[in-house]
Amino acid sequence: MKFNTIIIGGGLSGLTAGLALQKAGQRVAIVSKGQSTLHFNPASFDLLGYDATGAAVEHPLQAIAALPATHPYSKCTNVEALAQEAQALLEESGISLIGTAAANHYRITPMGVLKPAWLTLADYATTEQGTALPWKKVALINAIGCLDFPTKFIAAGLRKAGTEVDVKAFTLPELEKQRQSPSEMRATNIAKVLSTANVVARMAQAINAQIAGTTYDAVLLPGVLQNPDLVAQLKSQVSTPVHFIATLPPSAAGVHVQTLLRQRFIAAGGVHLTGDKVVGGTIESGILKSVTTENLIDTRLEANHFILATGSFMSGGMDSNYESVFETVFGLDVDALQVPSERVKFNVFEAQPYMEFGVSTNEKLQVKKDGQEISNCYAVGSVLSGANRVKQSCGTGISMLTALQVVKHILNK
Amino acid sequence: MDVKLKDKYDVIVIGGGITGAGTARDCAMRGLSVLLIERFDFAHGATGRNHGLLHSGARYAVTDQESATECIQENTILRKIAAHCVEPTDGLFITLPDDDLAYQSTFVESCKRAGIRADIIDPEQAKILEPSVNPTLIGAVRVPDASVDPFRLTVANVTDARLHGADTVTYHEVTDLIIDQNRVVGVKMRDQRTGEIRQAYASLTINAAGIWGMLVAKKAGITVNMFPAKGALLIFGHRVNNMVINRCRKPANADILVPDDAVCVIGTTSDRVPIEQCDDMRVTDEEVKVLLQEGARLAPALASTRILRAYAGVRPLVASDNDPSGRSISRGIVVLDHATRDGMEGFVTITGGKMMTYRLMAEMVTDLACKKLNVSKSCATATTPLPGSEAKTAPEAMRTYSFAQKSADGRHGTYTKDIHTPDSLHSALVCECEGVSVAEVDYAVAHQNVTNLIDLRRRTRMGMGTCQGHLCSCRAAGELCQGNHAQEAAEDLASFVNERWKGIKPVAWGAALCEAQLTATVYEGMCGLNQFVKEGGEK
Repeated sequence: MKFNTIIIGGGLSGLTAGLALQKAGQRVAIVSKGQSTLHFNPASFDLLGYDATGAAVEHPLQAIAALPATHPYSKCTNVEALAQEAQALLEESGISLIGTAAANHYRITPMGVLKPAWLTLADYATTEQGTALPWKKVALINAIGCLDFPTKFIAAGLRKAGTEVDVKAFTLPELEKQRQSPSEMRATNIAKVLSTANVVARMAQAINAQIAGTTYDAVLLPGVLQNPDLVAQLKSQVSTPVHFIATLPPSAAGVHVQTLLRQRFIAAGGVHLTGDKVVGGTIESGILKSVTTENLIDTRLEANHFILATGSFMSGGMDSNYESVFETVFGLDVDALQVPSERVKFNVFEAQPYMEFGVSTNEKLQVKKDGQEISNCYAVGSVLSGANRVKQSCGTGISMLTALQVVKHILNK
Repeated sequence: MDVKLKDKYDVIVIGGGITGAGTARDCAMRGLSVLLIERFDFAHGATGRNHGLLHSGARYAVTDQESATECIQENTILRKIAAHCVEPTDGLFITLPDDDLAYQSTFVESCKRAGIRADIIDPEQAKILEPSVNPTLIGAVRVPDASVDPFRLTVANVTDARLHGADTVTYHEVTDLIIDQNRVVGVKMRDQRTGEIRQAYASLTINAAGIWGMLVAKKAGITVNMFPAKGALLIFGHRVNNMVINRCRKPANADILVPDDAVCVIGTTSDRVPIEQCDDMRVTDEEVKVLLQEGARLAPALASTRILRAYAGVRPLVASDNDPSGRSISRGIVVLDHATRDGMEGFVTITGGKMMTYRLMAEMVTDLACKKLNVSKSCATATTPLPGSEAKTAPEAMRTYSFAQKSADGRHGTYTKDIHTPDSLHSALVCECEGVSVAEVDYAVAHQNVTNLIDLRRRTRMGMGTCQGHLCSCRAAGELCQGNHAQEAAEDLASFVNERWKGIKPVAWGAALCEAQLTATVYEGMCGLNQFVKEGGEK
């Protein structure tokens, strides 16, 4: 099988690259294990949330300009243009967003903390300032038994920002049934139950009953609805403006984003090998000729270009043992500290060195193995070295922007 | 749980490890009024940081007959009185090609002399009994080793002490002994959370503080020369072996592999450490390396098994010579009557020994206490089952055979009947790895002195499974959070995530590092938990 480009990894960066290459007329294949970091996404995308001192960033484009040369953003030639392109790509895929690259807004986390964000799904609760909320009084309403939406913490955070909060809960016969199984109250499972117009209509009734008699500026709900039509229906049937707040993982919103992007990729003729894994490739004089996968043992998947979008340790793109830190698919050169005790710091909330480990790339994001450049293989997203995505809140931005940057390199060749 | 102190007790027991808990139980059962004081949580020290091995005594048979005999006697007793804490796995002592097979006969003979059943079995049969064992073994002896849950055992003793009228306080550190003319008459203690100083009085103060006992004695101007011997261990992500596997040779580093619950534990090392380090034990790269190398010789599968965590405890050995390794020191029990030894009335120290012999240690020091207080009632702890072990299992009617119910059965024995799941809300799982329900969390909070997530982990195993707390700890924090204390509950969650990390850090590679990155992504990245980190850290 021959493609223009093969992308290894079907998370946010892989799908972004795939969609952008398709737009340019390329025949693209994505090899994906299935799950990705999007399953842990808080319904927001971030460019850069915090600077090196830990202070919240107001204007990400300015702060990005000050990042060191080793940072993945420093390998993006026009961050502002790429950010606009990324936003357009998400919107074209059916994802309604609020936010702009010029200035961060704030999202509300499942712990009730306000964190800076670049783009947030339009139905989710946000605020312009990091210290205050746009409501005087809200009803925070959980689905009874959903332990992954800790209302006590969220309410405390909202109150700290000066908003009055009434905590309430609703249930439906369908949820009662679901709850018979003790581990079935995760957000994505609830989303499967709340998936018809009929159920959502009764959910709206149950919520209206909870807020009857009191005037609220907003009703805040756990992010357990995925279908935009059903969200619109709920909003029209609840008497007060409704906003969602992300739950603990799995994230119904993140899974939904991944599904939309993947559907669009497939609808446009892309080959998506789901539940498969690249196990190796043939490299000849600095060119990656083909790869083989776990499921297609006898088939050589050939392409002119390859993009490595396999993510960091938690996604399986990087791994380590006592002796070393390594890239898992090809054994590419990495930027990492090899002594075990130097890779980590004593306190979990310190900046952990391992967070910045990843594949070593040149200024065009091309990878190398044993010191030799592989000119048709690029790395994008969280497999790249040089950024602490957790500390800086920049993971999704790096994923999308480096993917779009690599697409430009490929198309310019 | 706020405890109203009595004006005066017969006995104050300092230290909520297994020795202190057992002593409090024995004293209370003999009708003494007891106050048990623990600096952090029950089983915080060496009790919660060992193999969880119910020794048969075989390990000590060649080098220390006295300890071996004590072990097998207590082993037999604990199987009966603490059935819900013990898993009768049996153990193997294997001889590998580079070990001296001649040692086996010395070993078996010594075991028999101490009263320990020791059957030489064919290596081929050993491989059938325990498929994970190193297949190159040239000899095997089967002994009645078992695994024991130290957290459960301690809490069961505390519970019984309370049922017999004892008061217990956790998170109270004894700052001073109150001395009146060469007599210890009570203690001053500081509430670790509020900083408040409280006083308590008793006719007799029993120092059962493990290695920290030497610091307690010092407060009365008394020197007890203790030997802090650090032992490091590794926990693996699943249960590789079903029998305890030991090396049939003189005791050395990393030669015991114990199956505990859903995991297995390799240990230990043995190195002398300064007393100042005992509150902050860190496992080194070198220790991890030795444990892994030697562990894989017992069960080769360990080389490719995920390591969950590393931890270390300190053996409270009493120094008798200058042996730098601490291995040749007797693990014998030491009871010090400071009246006769140092001219200080009202004060005794119980130390040395092992977790295995805690009940006997408690009996010995309680005998002394009774003698001093003119109480004639004799010890009944060897025949009276601990709470949870009165019957073999929970009453049939209580059993619903859910995962959570079965897990709770294992943890609380017959007391599972008090874990009420009136509706599906209460049966919802907080911790999916270990099967901890909302109801079990509520039970632990109401009845087991749980004040924070780390305490809850010791009672229920919440967060001890393969995910190391990355989903369950936030749910549990939400459950623990009472009234207007969301800020404190969030701070507790942050310190719990950090406590889990400290055990992962020394082995942070492979799957452990992947899991740690995921946890950081969820709690710091997604939730912003780092904003709740309390300055000054936690213990």
